[in-house]
Amino acid sequence: MTATATILPNRAKRNLTIAKAMAEALAQEMRRDPSVLVMGEDIAALGGVFGNTRGLLEEFGPARIRDTPISETGFIGAAVGMAAVGMRPVVELMFVDFFGVCMDAIYNMAAKNCYFSGGQSAVPMVLMTSVGGGYGDAGQHSQCLYGTFAHLPGMKVVVPSNAYDAKGLMVSAIRDNNPVIFMFHKALQGMGWLGTVQGSINDVPEDAYTVPFGQAAIARAGRDITIVGLGATVHLALDAAEELIANGIEAEVVDLRSLVPLDRATVNASVKRTGRLLVVDEDYQSYGVSGEIIASVVEAGTVLTSPPRRIAFPDIPIPFSPTLERPALPSAEKIVAAVTDMVRGGR
Amino acid sequence: MIPVVIPPDLWEGDAEGAVSAWLFAEGDAVRAGDLIAEVMVEKTSYDVTAPADGMLQIRIPAEIPFKRGAIIAAIG
Repeated sequence: MTATATILPNRAKRNLTIAKAMAEALAQEMRRDPSVLVMGEDIAALGGVFGNTRGLLEEFGPARIRDTPISETGFIGAAVGMAAVGMRPVVELMFVDFFGVCMDAIYNMAAKNCYFSGGQSAVPMVLMTSVGGGYGDAGQHSQCLYGTFAHLPGMKVVVPSNAYDAKGLMVSAIRDNNPVIFMFHKALQGMGWLGTVQGSINDVPEDAYTVPFGQAAIARAGRDITIVGLGATVHLALDAAEELIANGIEAEVVDLRSLVPLDRATVNASVKRTGRLLVVDEDYQSYGVSGEIIASVVEAGTVLTSPPRRIAFPDIPIPFSPTLERPALPSAEKIVAAVTDMVRGGR
Repeated sequence: MIPVVIPPDLWEGDAEGAVSAWLFAEGDAVRAGDLIAEVMVEKTSYDVTAPADGMLQIRIPAEIPFKRGAIIAAIG
């Protein structure tokens, strides 16, 4: 008897933008689970202003891919109710800046109902929302607000920096029984008009897979300093690390990927090896992610050879004028300067 | 050398398109049918696939406008 071996060809490399990776994750989970649906402004006929729901209306129809009126109060409140009765809604808050009118549904209901009900009423919803500036869209369309959401208990918060992570984190988010805030940076969507960061486009397997929450990634290994970033700032840190080679400095870049839960262990282990810590965050500086990371490392008793530093957005409304906005944003140049000073100056 | 042509009838009128994202880098090996670029024309997005196996040579970088019918790359 002869066995016939099935030899599969090596899988061809398939590069996707974050937008396409998100759409693929949504489509695959919708095929698997009929309780999954998507709601939001311009997510159906247009396919999402950031491209992340393209093609879904054609496959799943208007009952499961629902364009909503411009009322975040209404449709995000509705999603909390849907989740309470067993559906798994994914809702899009087009710009995170619009959270003001729907925050009661998010942080007082979605985030707390499971606890209030003694675990009897889960809220399996995903809120996906665009963040970030750098393209002159002013103070109500450019914020990150990572810290605002990560500060409030009861929600998980994830921030992908590339297409592979975006797909795996979205699958994890949909399957999670808790509310998950999925924050995607506009510059990484591959939409052109927002600028496209090439490093965010990477190889994405076709089959569904999960990227677990609470696991940071070492985006680049190095021995002299740990640079912690999330979303778009990971790519600034990688660009800076490449330039720093010429100065004889090897930087390690940590991509947080998930803010809640936060992988403090990976950050601490990295800083233990390098002895230096720089946090790069596009959110406002005070009371936020950068302070939390630094505090976590200091609290762990990790010995530092120079004081920790951070590069974040100053505590001001984001200017419309590119001339004013650009210098306020984190950049690879700022990272190179800070790292060089920390390593060479010993400060 | 096989050109990657934007079909002249892909959209109507004088509107200009642009590659919003090249999904492979210059010189990468691609296979026929691989998605290699996304093209945006106003608010509509089109997928561009490789017409043949070979090495990608980008002729029009991302975000540079072109008219329909343009040759945006070659596969060699």
